[in-house]
Amino acid sequence: MSQCIVVTSGKGGVGKTTTSANLGAGLALAGNRVAVVDADIGLRNLDVILGLENRIVYDLVQVVEGECRLKQALIRDKRVEGLFLLPAAQTRDKNAVSPDDMRRLVGELKEEFDYVIIDCPAGIEQGFKNSIAGADRALIVTTPEVSAIRDADRIIGMVEAHDLPEPELIINRYRAGMVERGDMMNKEDILEILAIPLIGMVPDHEDVIISANRGQPAVFDENSVVGQAYRRITDRVVGHEVPFPSFETPTGMWATMKRWMGLAPMREVV
Amino acid sequence: MRGIFKKFQDTVFGAPPASKDDAKQRLKVLLIHDQVALTPAQLDAMREEIMDVISRYVEVDDNGVEFRLSREDGAISLVSNVPVRRVTARASA
Ligand SMILES: Nc1ncnc2c1ncn2[C@@H]1O[C@H](COP(=O)(O)OP(=O)(O)O)[C@@H](O)[C@H]1O
Ligand SMILES: [Mg+2]
Repeated sequence: MSQCIVVTSGKGGVGKTTTSANLGAGLALAGNRVAVVDADIGLRNLDVILGLENRIVYDLVQVVEGECRLKQALIRDKRVEGLFLLPAAQTRDKNAVSPDDMRRLVGELKEEFDYVIIDCPAGIEQGFKNSIAGADRALIVTTPEVSAIRDADRIIGMVEAHDLPEPELIINRYRAGMVERGDMMNKEDILEILAIPLIGMVPDHEDVIISANRGQPAVFDENSVVGQAYRRITDRVVGHEVPFPSFETPTGMWATMKRWMGLAPMREVV
Repeated sequence: MRGIFKKFQDTVFGAPPASKDDAKQRLKVLLIHDQVALTPAQLDAMREEIMDVISRYVEVDDNGVEFRLSREDGAISLVSNVPVRRVTARASA
């Protein structure tokens, strides 16, 4: 059974594109045939994060408008078997595509692929409605900040109104040190507010920027903590039970001293 | 060094309250108002009408009335606590 997963958030800049790229690559590494679809029409980005920007010939809007066949627009990622990108148009706007177009497109992709990952644009308008139209399942990305969580809550309500199963949450840009000092909401705080199941946590880490610089998703790097976080997310997405490990405890002098003095737990479980 | 000294001070003399509690508190209020499409004025009007109805039956202690929206597991509820002075029904009821 193929599945279409939309990665959405409401707020921009919280990690949807990073997540779509890593989840797509992670699922392909695990042996699945995967199409990642950039639904951010007019502001395409997923091609750059995946390092495939030089190979674009056709785009999603051209497929929808019948200017080319779907197969011609799909870009095959040469690093991993089974990973394909359908890029967004850069010179068109969101209204070039309708929810019905997307539903048809996703249906066609699901005949070929095990997973279709939709990278949703920010906002709650046309781009969101298009992205969610063909989806079977939604992942909500948030950061531990008031504005991102507020928007996530809005989106969760809209996803539920679309007859999709309960969405699952990814908490991105988590900073264990700030959580330890009480300056960032922890996993429990966020789950208490959003009340949906957690499917992953990704630390705030420079690896995200380095991998974006290179066009090489972190999930390809077994030693990257971000890559490892996305491997666990991938495993959970396909249905494995993966425990939530503790992120590295802060290693600053003060954190170490506090642990010696018994003021902080040895490991913070996240 | 200054950072460490400040943290030492905080540990000994009590740290300022953590900002995440502010975040959580503000979010809870924010999400209720995002979900309940009522203006503060409408909420006040609702409260007054409900109190009018209750006062027709029992004598209410106005000072102790609690009336607020609360959110638990994503579901909104109206939480109200109305202290009653006299339980006996009023003649006008
Ligand atoms: N876990 C992280 N650690 C550090 N930087 C991150 C992390 N996740 C995202 N970012 C940065 O945040 C920015 C927005 O990420 P992106 O995935 O494009 O978000 P969105 O698609 O939701 O707009 C990027 O510059 C990215 O490098
Ligand atoms: Mg994006």
